[in-house]
Amino acid sequence: MSSINNIDVIDQVVLSLSKPLLKDVIDQHQVAYELEQKDVFNVLSALKLKGWKQLSYLSAVDWPNEVKFEVVYILMNWEQPSYVQIRTKIDRNQPVMPSVLAIFPGAKYYEREAHEFFGIHFPGNPEYEKPLILERWDDIPPLRKDFDPSAYSAKKFPSRTYPDSFSVKDENNKILEKKAEKRKRAQNLRTGGESS
Amino acid sequence: MISTKYTVKQSLTKEEIDRKWWEVGDYFRRNSLWLLMYCTGCCAIELPPSMTSAYDMERLGMGPMATPRQADILLVSGYLSLKTLRRLVYTYEQMSEPKYVVALGSCPINGGIYHDSHAVINQLDQYIPVDTYVAGCMPNPESVLNGFVDLMEGIKNKTANGWKKYHEHNEWYKKNQKDVLGEVAIEDEFHQ
Repeated sequence: MSSINNIDVIDQVVLSLSKPLLKDVIDQHQVAYELEQKDVFNVLSALKLKGWKQLSYLSAVDWPNEVKFEVVYILMNWEQPSYVQIRTKIDRNQPVMPSVLAIFPGAKYYEREAHEFFGIHFPGNPEYEKPLILERWDDIPPLRKDFDPSAYSAKKFPSRTYPDSFSVKDENNKILEKKAEKRKRAQNLRTGGESS
Repeated sequence: MISTKYTVKQSLTKEEIDRKWWEVGDYFRRNSLWLLMYCTGCCAIELPPSMTSAYDMERLGMGPMATPRQADILLVSGYLSLKTLRRLVYTYEQMSEPKYVVALGSCPINGGIYHDSHAVINQLDQYIPVDTYVAGCMPNPESVLNGFVDLMEGIKNKTANGWKKYHEHNEWYKKNQKDVLGEVAIEDEFHQ
């Protein structure tokens, strides 16, 4: 069975259950759909029955201008190697996405991670609020676009200060001229004075 | 036959005797250093060539050690996230004295390329005392070995006394650790 047929199988499953807002064929092994939030659960369970048994990844993308979070599910089929990416946009101010724990038990940790880094709520997952990676985090979730890591770093971690005399003073960039001269001389030696 | 020549009877004070014993101890210690490699970041990739036959760390009398309690050097190779720092302080306090800290790479010095990261600390010597820095991103094996030779010189000249500083300024270090970590307690849900 060729991989082109795989994409057709995915197409059948997805189109029979939903109307994708966007379809994106990346290559013969990868295809992406953007769905409405209500269709995601059905499509994921149908794809799992068809053989896309592994939830490779679950994460989110922040679109602050659209005021949306995009939740991304990536499924993998081991029999006919192919990836499906299911994406859906949810409201950024009230980020709630029903948990897919009933379909993919491994989503437990991905959902905890997404909650920790983006602040998305996953009702249905009993422990999505438990911290997974960050310990004792004390600010807004760090992968949101409105979080400023360098301001946080400057506030929390003291940075080393150096005296003025520490750096080498070379205001006119003489060192670059010297290097260019040296390079030219070396090239002259190699080519016997002929410019290449 | 007993000599008739007059000699002053030498009596050493306790401090002098202690100092002599420490010198003897330091001589042997600096020639058989055991490393606890805390491979936190990418500089750890420089250790295999330094240890194996290409540069052969063994000729300096150094070797890897598995547990913190038996090791002399805590080798921090690379960047330290907050989460790692918590484990590192825990490990450092477990080590028996005298203990030395060698920091590889530019990240423990001033943050390196992670200077604006939300998860990576900028200066290691705010939290535990560092005896030798090896600068570079990454330092090549010659620099790593040169750093160890510098540390041996430091032990000889009694300048590698970070573990004494940790006692003297313990409150300052503890305050810095507390500011950034909250509390040096390790919770691990997978081993509870």
